[in-house]
Amino acid sequence: MTTQEITATGDIEIAEASRTNLWRDAVARLAANRLAVVAILPIVLLFFIAAFGPYLTPYDFLAQDFTARLASPSSEHWLGTDELGRDVFSRILYGARTAVSVGLVSTAISLIVGLVMGSLAGYLGGRVDMLVVWLTDMTRSMPALLLAIVINLTLKVPLEAWMEQMYLASKNTFFRQTMWVDLVLVFGALALIQWPGYARLIRGQILSIRSRNYVLAARALGMPTGRILTRYVIPNAMGPLIVAVSAGMGGAMVLESAFSFLGVGVQLPIPSWGKMISDGLRMWQTHPHLLVGPAVMMAVITVSFAWLGDGLNDALNPRQWGG
Amino acid sequence: MSVLLDVQELQTRFQVRKGYVYAVNGVSFKLEEGETLAVVGESGCGKSVTMLSLVRLLPPAASIENGKVLLRGDDLLQIDQRQLRDVRGGQIGMIFQDPMTSLNPFINIGTQMSEPLIYHRGMSKKEALARSAELLEMVGIPDGEARLREYPHQFSGGMRQRVMIAMSMSCEPAVLIADEPTTALDVTIQAQIVELVKELRDRSGVAVIWITHDLSVVAGIADRVIVMYAGYIVEEAPVDALFEDPRHPYTVGLMGALPSLEGETGTRLTTIGGSPPDLEDLPDFCPFHTRCPYSIDRCRTENPMLEPVADASDRGHRAACWVDIREVEVQSNGAGASS
Repeated sequence: MTTQEITATGDIEIAEASRTNLWRDAVARLAANRLAVVAILPIVLLFFIAAFGPYLTPYDFLAQDFTARLASPSSEHWLGTDELGRDVFSRILYGARTAVSVGLVSTAISLIVGLVMGSLAGYLGGRVDMLVVWLTDMTRSMPALLLAIVINLTLKVPLEAWMEQMYLASKNTFFRQTMWVDLVLVFGALALIQWPGYARLIRGQILSIRSRNYVLAARALGMPTGRILTRYVIPNAMGPLIVAVSAGMGGAMVLESAFSFLGVGVQLPIPSWGKMISDGLRMWQTHPHLLVGPAVMMAVITVSFAWLGDGLNDALNPRQWGG
Repeated sequence: MSVLLDVQELQTRFQVRKGYVYAVNGVSFKLEEGETLAVVGESGCGKSVTMLSLVRLLPPAASIENGKVLLRGDDLLQIDQRQLRDVRGGQIGMIFQDPMTSLNPFINIGTQMSEPLIYHRGMSKKEALARSAELLEMVGIPDGEARLREYPHQFSGGMRQRVMIAMSMSCEPAVLIADEPTTALDVTIQAQIVELVKELRDRSGVAVIWITHDLSVVAGIADRVIVMYAGYIVEEAPVDALFEDPRHPYTVGLMGALPSLEGETGTRLTTIGGSPPDLEDLPDFCPFHTRCPYSIDRCRTENPMLEPVADASDRGHRAACWVDIREVEVQSNGAGASS
């Protein structure tokens, strides 16, 4: 039998030759998911507000109008003002910046730490693997909020003292801005809480992909290890990671609000939704507008990230790829 | 004909919690230029581990304890990682059992196929893609150039195995190791893949090691056959001699277990009674004796060496058995008489 005959007689089941790739397929699947598409809008809006919020706000987030303290929503102050006469709408827009920077930075830090630790554990195995798994277990066994409170209470004072010393030594006014201390502590605490999740995910991905047939086939073709990592292992590990990052961003924002609500998060005067909710809660019966604005924002963003994560999971789940 | 691959006393074992699993126990064979060697035996007899040992593609728990793998005189067990990578794909190509998972789902076929060409042959991306398109047509995938842009999930199982074959043959290796390449495919596709490999072999002169447990495939493709059992080679013979005059009881059992279209329907298929020995606790006598209808006392004390059989039609016919099975009447058909 010649090659041509083989072709003619068999392979009736030639796969449908749609000229697409997997990422485009995933985007198409995501676009077909209504909840995910609906969720993208508030998330895009959130990032937009975070980037341009200060230019959009009618008032500065610190500007106090003592003639209109605790004012109800009006055409002048769309969402009213708080105890100190600050515009709530402006503060919510500013709070988006806090939420997004916390989400991005803490996720980035925990992702990097998780990637390094997870890959090391997955590749090297043995003792390194045991050590990393032990570290993640230990971190995860501590309640997140308790850990954040401990970090805040133990590190804040020495860090502020160090900043003061640096200022005295260098006369650089950067070290006078103590709000950085809060942000660094919040980022640090969130990263510490979140890295074990990423580390475990990546470790599991690498363990499973390392033993896949296409990795064996690539090795049998003499591909160097670095190339196998970058072209075979990492791309195939991306799907679940993207899902985890999407969910993790929302999670980080909620956690930051929870910290602020409990008073261990971002401190005044930087607006934070959690802080606003906790302040508004004291007088929600008389001045509900203080609570409603930030609470609704928080809820919408949290739900949006959850829906988007869900949609991404469906779109990127390899078990749903046609084969 | 000159010897291309000379495997001597290969021993591979796996570390497990309690001790070791002895997967390959002193396997020696030679492969000549352009020859097709079939390796048969049941699951877990060490066929695949032997082949993976040749190019050191074993999982971390496995280690090669002894032996030499001489490819044109160079011992593949001694060379460094860099040289080893040049051998893999460059001189020894491999195709595997499950084509559905043997291709990276994230890169298109063209990129995937050109990687070994770029790496081993120093081609430019453009040259490699052009060569890949030719290779696809060569393995019977029409419109190769257009299909290079497609992804593995757009190919059927048979097509993916063709792609795998094209990839493993792309750098014109001297040896192609095919590890049960047709097992996961349905029967009509199986025949096509066998035909394809035969055609490529005849065209390029590559020597083929074809691992299978399907004796009908062996008859169609092989020049010589090795029968493995419990990590040992128990019989080695030219393909005609093996089918006409099998000398090891296990080979006889395998032949007997082939379903036949002749004879009555509705009868039960013949099997080899018993089960293979525990590879963690191998006896130091014949590992097959508990299932062997021919076994004698000596089988329970000494392990037979692979030696030329008496009155062989071919000098290369060897078997590891104490008994000359032509002289023995078998009482029960295949069932372990002495167990």
